[in-house]
Amino acid sequence: MSRATPSRPEPAARKRARGAGGSGPRRPSRTRARHARAAAGFVLPFLALFGLCFLAPLGYALHQSLQKTERTGPLGLGREHESFAGLANYAQALSDDRFLAGFGRVLLFGAVQIPLMIVLATVLALLLESASARGIAFFRTAFFLPYGVPGVIASILWGFLYVPGISPLVKIADSLGLHVDFLSRGTVLWSLANIVTWQFTGYNMLVLIAQLKAVPGELYEAARIDGASARQVARYVKIPLIRPALVLTGVFSIIGTLQLFAEPMVLRPLASSIDSGYTPNLHAYSEAFVGNNPQVAAAEAVLLALVACALSFGFLRLAGGPAGERR
Amino acid sequence: MTPPPLRHRILTASLLTVAALYFLMPVYWLAVSATKNSADLFGTFGFWFADPHPVDHLTEVLAYDHGIYVRWFANSLLYAGAGAVCATLLSAAAGYALAKFPFPGREAVFTVVLAGVLVPGTALALPLYFLFSAMGLSDTYWAVLIPSTVSPFGVYLCRIYAAAAVPDSLLEAARIDGAGEARIFGGLGLRLMTPALVTVFLFQFVHIWNNYFLPLVMLSDSGLYPVQLGLTSWTGYADRQPVLYQYTVGGAFLSVVPLMVLMAVLQRYWRTGLTEGSVKA
Amino acid sequence: MTNSPVHRRTVLGGAAAFAAGWALAGCSDSGDGDAPRERAKGQKIQLTFWSWVPGIDKPVDLWNRKHPEVQVKVEKVSAVNGAQYAKMHAAIKAGNPPDLGQIEFPVLPGFLLDDGLLDLAPLGAARHKDKFVGWQWQQAVFGRSIYAVPQASGPMGLFVRQDLFDAWEVDTPRTWDEYEAAARAVRKKGAWIETFAPTNGNRFAGLAWQAGARWYATHDDTWIVHIDDEPTRRVADYWESLVARKLVKTIPDRQNAWYKDLQTGAIPAWVGASWGDALLAGNAPGTKGTWRAAPLPQWKAGEQAFANWGGSTTAVFAKARYPKDALDFAVWLNTAPESIALLIDGGYGFPSAKKGYATTDLDVDKDFFGGQAYSRVFAAAGAHVDTSWRWGPGVDTLYQRLGDAFTDALADGSSFRSALAAVQRQTLDDLKGKGLKVASGG
Repeated sequence: MSRATPSRPEPAARKRARGAGGSGPRRPSRTRARHARAAAGFVLPFLALFGLCFLAPLGYALHQSLQKTERTGPLGLGREHESFAGLANYAQALSDDRFLAGFGRVLLFGAVQIPLMIVLATVLALLLESASARGIAFFRTAFFLPYGVPGVIASILWGFLYVPGISPLVKIADSLGLHVDFLSRGTVLWSLANIVTWQFTGYNMLVLIAQLKAVPGELYEAARIDGASARQVARYVKIPLIRPALVLTGVFSIIGTLQLFAEPMVLRPLASSIDSGYTPNLHAYSEAFVGNNPQVAAAEAVLLALVACALSFGFLRLAGGPAGERR
Repeated sequence: MTPPPLRHRILTASLLTVAALYFLMPVYWLAVSATKNSADLFGTFGFWFADPHPVDHLTEVLAYDHGIYVRWFANSLLYAGAGAVCATLLSAAAGYALAKFPFPGREAVFTVVLAGVLVPGTALALPLYFLFSAMGLSDTYWAVLIPSTVSPFGVYLCRIYAAAAVPDSLLEAARIDGAGEARIFGGLGLRLMTPALVTVFLFQFVHIWNNYFLPLVMLSDSGLYPVQLGLTSWTGYADRQPVLYQYTVGGAFLSVVPLMVLMAVLQRYWRTGLTEGSVKA
Repeated sequence: MTNSPVHRRTVLGGAAAFAAGWALAGCSDSGDGDAPRERAKGQKIQLTFWSWVPGIDKPVDLWNRKHPEVQVKVEKVSAVNGAQYAKMHAAIKAGNPPDLGQIEFPVLPGFLLDDGLLDLAPLGAARHKDKFVGWQWQQAVFGRSIYAVPQASGPMGLFVRQDLFDAWEVDTPRTWDEYEAAARAVRKKGAWIETFAPTNGNRFAGLAWQAGARWYATHDDTWIVHIDDEPTRRVADYWESLVARKLVKTIPDRQNAWYKDLQTGAIPAWVGASWGDALLAGNAPGTKGTWRAAPLPQWKAGEQAFANWGGSTTAVFAKARYPKDALDFAVWLNTAPESIALLIDGGYGFPSAKKGYATTDLDVDKDFFGGQAYSRVFAAAGAHVDTSWRWGPGVDTLYQRLGDAFTDALADGSSFRSALAAVQRQTLDDLKGKGLKVASGG
């Protein structure tokens, strides 16, 4: 530990860290005000930009979702103005079979792909952090590298690897007597799942590793000395300790899956079975950018955000408490 | 500590190698394909070379359209580099404050920030465009730079790291010594939070580097495009200029290289920084 | 979660940002700050022109050299997934559109919905009318208003691998019945004559156009929509039977797998348009010398009904500040012989101008077609395009709906007719949702 400090103020400091509420010995209000000012100074730059780049557009989108366009020119061309439409856009979105089917699809996708990816990320993290790993830096770079290939380019790449006639994978499978079609109606969803898994496993793995590294090595030592095998150390010590990171990756994966968009959009020209509403986000995009209906698109995006919110908080509650809070 | 048994090492190594094959296979394909021309791209076996002229092809990529690729690359470096640096500093400050200064409404702020991640970027893009247009900033470098400096995830990461790695006692001592909050943060806080800063920087750099949708909506002057948007636009013209397939693959290959370099360079901070932090905590 | 009292200031701050965005949405209709004006003599101006045609900067550079006072800046907007039109609409709404834009024929009415284009009639655009092929000029005319200057069209035709057809003793089909027979013959040899790409709404529209369909019409203030009219159903039935009997593939066209099939001869024909020459030459260079162009098969022997696939215009946006100069540039770009020559080099479409080029100039890929003067085929087709065809608003959405409907039909085996009926219903709803008066044509 560093400089010796009187032990008295520590519990008070900890109590303060538990949040306002005002129990325990109070600090002089002068200091509290100073702290509040400092906190404001630190947080405001971020908050200002956050307000500009997230909250303001969100407000705009919400406003738009409650509007509809009316046109009064001849043949309806021109002279458009927006008028209040209440929840009509939401009703339209919720009665659109294709939009709802898209929701069902991403939920199925998530139910399968997310656990698979997180298990894979955990296994890889544990392997890399185990004592028996060699060449860690190389493997860590290798696993993280796909994250550096942006979603659109990754999909183009995998497109080349999926299309029969061009794909070396299909050729290899053919030579072994297996006929695979990655882009057929039944398989294309899982081909998309593969692209997402390929891209994000390394990223999730790094988050888990960071958490593993934050745990003092003595804990593992202690378990070892107690006679635990490597596997037991992993199962009973490491995994429980990385729970916060697991919850975090889980939440972000849920959100990412619900917002699935770039991969189906890029694969759409290659696969006849991906329609314009394959995922809810793609449907909203099509409404905004192809159909030029920003109001309905905004309503769909809000619905998507609400579902993401519900699922994320539901998952957090299930996983037992907010992630990363004081331990 | 006894060294782990050989069979463990073999098992671990084989599992890791299989995983590496899976993750690197498309990158390998990319490297091989970058040496091919358009006809060979479609005609020859994907995993092996066919009359490779890597230098020729890659030079063509760089020279096409008055060297626009180089410009795009530079743009990406600007957006990702400057954006990630700013994002890291802003997130560090906010995370540090959220962790170390209890103030009323702290949790509300934190929840709102995290909730910002829930809204799909595609929904925010158009409204953001209108906002920036109203400010006269659309189709400028700022249109991509400013949103790039906002990283809610960075705030989250910095908060939990600051809570764990920056002891209140140290801060108290520094305050007693008469240091201002800013100096404490700059001199002490940042140094203790280095591993988290490196993580946030890396993630935000990659996020901005890969971001395709925001620049698509904000920019119309192709001289301002980042490299990913540029490559994607090439695929849009590839129908009528099939040589662009080849250039897209070559360009994609070139765009992966900086990330490799970045990863290699930052490995060092990772190893030492993170373990140090763990011991202190 | 803790139960700390939410601080008022925090909430107010967040709400303020939120509300600001909300308010901005409410007042997003910008006033017209920049009224159009005349360029003063000797005044230097710059016009912005959004296009995605790869070779377009060459004629623009030429204009810039010849007109130092009116400089045109080309901005190459990404054309992936129709993003360029989304950008144009967004720019119009935000109040900062470019001066000129490249807009395809089907999408023009969509821009009239948001008052995006400038009516060129008051600028005397009508005097340029005779420089262009009649029906293409008409595509941009609505009532007495003229909204764009046509640049190029895409008359449809049939590309065939002559070598394979000769080897297999298949005649180049001249009617759709003959085409079906050819499909069977080709299939017996293990190849597929064509692919019916469910998402290629453009081509389907062209085929319906050829059969005499009229998807959009206007009657006073009402749009008459008839996607599932009798000619369209005839076309749908025809292709449905080909698909059902497995005489055609159903992969998407103009992408990797299709190019591969072209290269190997697995697909020896293509119902395409004039701009397909560069596409074939560029993506299947190994088949050089083996392709020929032929007229589109007819429904009745001896008929001369053709259709169009693609083609675009140069339009001036409503907020353009120097409309007269913009119009001058648009007309020059599309009629000046030196400009047309450069456009042809860039490989874009069949010029809309009547004069200023020779048909043989368009035989850019003559060697690829074994020396055939193939453009004559398309020129003849272009002269017989049904000129009563009109486009309506929301065609991009229509194509999407068609694509989705055909995709579903292929997957669950339902009939193409029911797909068309569904698209008709959806299109009526879409247009009503846009605030237009619509009626069904059936």
